[in-house]
Amino acid sequence: MPTSIYLSNPVVTVNSVSLTDQCTAASFLQRYDQLEDTAFGTGSRTYTSGLGNHELTLTLYMSYAATETYATLKDLVGTTTTVIVKPSNAADSATNPGFTLTQTFLAELPVVNASLGELSSIDITFVGGVYSTDTTNP
Amino acid sequence: MTYKILNPRVGTPGDEWIPRPGVNIEALINGGFIIEIASPAPAQEPATVKNKKKKG
Repeated sequence: MPTSIYLSNPVVTVNSVSLTDQCTAASFLQRYDQLEDTAFGTGSRTYTSGLGNHELTLTLYMSYAATETYATLKDLVGTTTTVIVKPSNAADSATNPGFTLTQTFLAELPVVNASLGELSSIDITFVGGVYSTDTTNP
Repeated sequence: MTYKILNPRVGTPGDEWIPRPGVNIEALINGGFIIEIASPAPAQEPATVKNKKKKG
């Protein structure tokens, strides 16, 4: 019964900056447009893969201190960058791949998300880009 | 162009930072994570002496 329990091991890198210690959730979606190619003579609908349309959503604590969350993200809004998420902090391997989006777009950054008495956290989503898995880098 | 790491979020401070494909270098510099190291100027070629012929 294979299961994955995430405690503190995943590694999150945004634009080469490790935000692991600010991240509480990551959802990396490998996705392709679904194109229907059903034709006469078939009894069921069939589909083929279209363009890649991948997505990564991160939940991060917001910090405006030097070299923290805001400093990492503020110049990335409206641009493309590279993001990597690894299941654990061990070296890249076939069982610990670095899931990578290259040239992925960050459309928006919630610069303030404040509630009285709570730690501020934000959700950001990187969309598009080229999906790959790295099994060789340290 | 070469870069030096300033912050441990990017690597070991003081080490050379090698760009990965697709990384926004300007954002890293603006965020204080790396610094650009000026490349050494290329060695100047020795000045050539031109012999001009005087018109007599």
